Amino acid sequence: MVELVLFVVFAAAALFGAVTMVWARNPVYSAMGLMLSMFSVAVFYVSNGAHFIAAVQVIIYAGAVMTLFLFVIMLIGVDKAETRTENLPLQRPAALGLIALFGAGVVVAGRSAWVTGRTVSPGSPIDGSIEEVGGELFNNWLLPFEITALLLIIAAAGAIALAFFRDDEEGDA
Amino acid sequence: MVFLSLSFWREAGGAMNVNYLSVAPELILTVAVVLLLMIDVQWKPGYRWWGIAAALGFAGAIAASVMQWVGHRGEDAAEYFRGMIATDGFSAFAGILIFPIAAMALMTAWPLVRSLGRRGAEFVVLVMIAAAGAHLMAAASNLVMLFIALEVFSISLYVLAGFTRARADADEAALKYFLLGALASAIFLYGIALVFAATGTTSITGIATFLGNELLFRPGILLAGIALLVVGLGFKVSAAPFHVWAPDVYQGAPGGVTGFLAASAKIAGFAAAARVLTVALDARIEDWAPAIGVIAAVSIVVGTLLAIAQTDLKRMLAYSSVAHAGFILTALVGGAAGVADMWFYVATYAVQVVAAFGVAAVVSGPQQGPAPLADYAGLSTRSPGLALALGLMMLAMGGIPLTAGFVGKAAVFSAALDADYLWLVVLALVAAVAGLFFYLRVVVLMYMQPAEGSGSVPVPLGARIVLVVAAVVTVLAGVVPWPLLRWLGEALPG
Repeated sequence: MVELVLFVVFAAAALFGAVTMVWARNPVYSAMGLMLSMFSVAVFYVSNGAHFIAAVQVIIYAGAVMTLFLFVIMLIGVDKAETRTENLPLQRPAALGLIALFGAGVVVAGRSAWVTGRTVSPGSPIDGSIEEVGGELFNNWLLPFEITALLLIIAAAGAIALAFFRDDEEGDA
Repeated sequence: MVFLSLSFWREAGGAMNVNYLSVAPELILTVAVVLLLMIDVQWKPGYRWWGIAAALGFAGAIAASVMQWVGHRGEDAAEYFRGMIATDGFSAFAGILIFPIAAMALMTAWPLVRSLGRRGAEFVVLVMIAAAGAHLMAAASNLVMLFIALEVFSISLYVLAGFTRARADADEAALKYFLLGALASAIFLYGIALVFAATGTTSITGIATFLGNELLFRPGILLAGIALLVVGLGFKVSAAPFHVWAPDVYQGAPGGVTGFLAASAKIAGFAAAARVLTVALDARIEDWAPAIGVIAAVSIVVGTLLAIAQTDLKRMLAYSSVAHAGFILTALVGGAAGVADMWFYVATYAVQVVAAFGVAAVVSGPQQGPAPLADYAGLSTRSPGLALALGLMMLAMGGIPLTAGFVGKAAVFSAALDADYLWLVVLALVAAVAGLFFYLRVVVLMYMQPAEGSGSVPVPLGARIVLVVAAVVTVLAGVVPWPLLRWLGEALPG
């Protein structure tokens, strides 16, 4: 019962945050809406036993990433209100039509019982502790974990290459 | 070899089976990348050192792939790292193909690297990492591993596409490629999640076992997952209707990069598609084969029709690449039986497209910008060698006999015929004849029109080597294709 109440409250909060993020005219409100959405999702992680992921969600997404967003917004300037004129005339009707189509798809999908694959045996409790996550990460998922190091090299090299570009720099070194 | 295949820390779940030979190409390239970056920061030895480091890295990676090929050709896949990596003839052949292609593309892009100043080191590094990611895509035997490899490959290409930011069209190309590519990656990831929901595993062999043993009465989630996976991979190989990024990106990116982008995306994308579709989802071939057939047909028609209308060589090659994606998909409607034919087409097309964009890069100067067709009028009198190379590549892409393109088309059509897709083959044949129009137009332009400018185009040594190698490969594979076809029969995913 507690779980149901928690779910309803925070699902509503997550949806409200998501809608605010898209709808708000002031970018700071958008950022706050995103933060609310991320916090609510963190609560879902806790209720599913994934405490470590929940902590990471709060610290990194709701904390560090949001600070970065706010920083960028402040640098660009808060007072720049967004204009809502569309350059593509059919975009809004098309979007509404696609939303209706998507909603119909969700309804159809929700009404029928989809047969899915293996189910977790209900007896085993879910343990989202750091030990459990670390054990998985460095045993089963060792190689993908190591390959993400390549992504970091790409990020560093790419950022240098794109950001250090200057017009006068072109020419033989 | 024994000392390399350590298997340490056994526990309840079985051995880790860490095998460094299975990822040797990636290891060698990564070591070369790190050395290049660190030595460049410390001593600033300049572009000659970049070339040496890249050459050593690619040579090592090719050698490692050849070793894998010798050890694993024609055998069932050996899985390492808890089923993350499969070493088999398929992944080894992908390596033998990708690394030389990347090296060739780097050679055609070399004047650009030199003109970039200090940023050239990052350019070389990104090409090497992209090649490593492309090979990982072919070798991944887990969908999560496949996704990470796809990101390693794609993100390096996003940066490479925008390297010449002085040109606005390069900026546009990079941004478009990044935004649409990120969307395609998200779709692919959602597909992985749905397939996981339906089968309970992300392992490619695990999915195959599950689908082979269980009968799903209401496979809605699985089908949705398959559809999203196909869309994600279709974007990477620029199959219509997921091709809209291709023309702007191909035109805006520097010529040497475009050749690499076109060739490696086809190799890696089709390798991943072949492994996912014919191994993991083999039991579901009745569901995905018609979809692949329709995408192939749409790609062939859209690519051919739009290529006719182009006035820029790179843009024309982009639409022709859409059509070629369709031809290659034609082989996959046959399932596992068509993989060898797919490989033949992919391998020969990759060589042709690198050479064609190499010519475009040379003709459009060191910045390697747009390539309006007018620049090619009378090229045969100005630079007979370049005209000959580009003409040969155009004939090969058009599928003229005695070139590799003809054998490739024959191979994929026979694969589709074996799978009873007569309508697709008829459509593809008609489109191939229509496609001759725009390939031959380039040849006519080069050989039968008066030259506008005078003076020959200087061809750098690297581009010269690439063009000669590509021409030899294209003619050899067209005249005596049997050895290659026989080898490819041993390059199947297991």
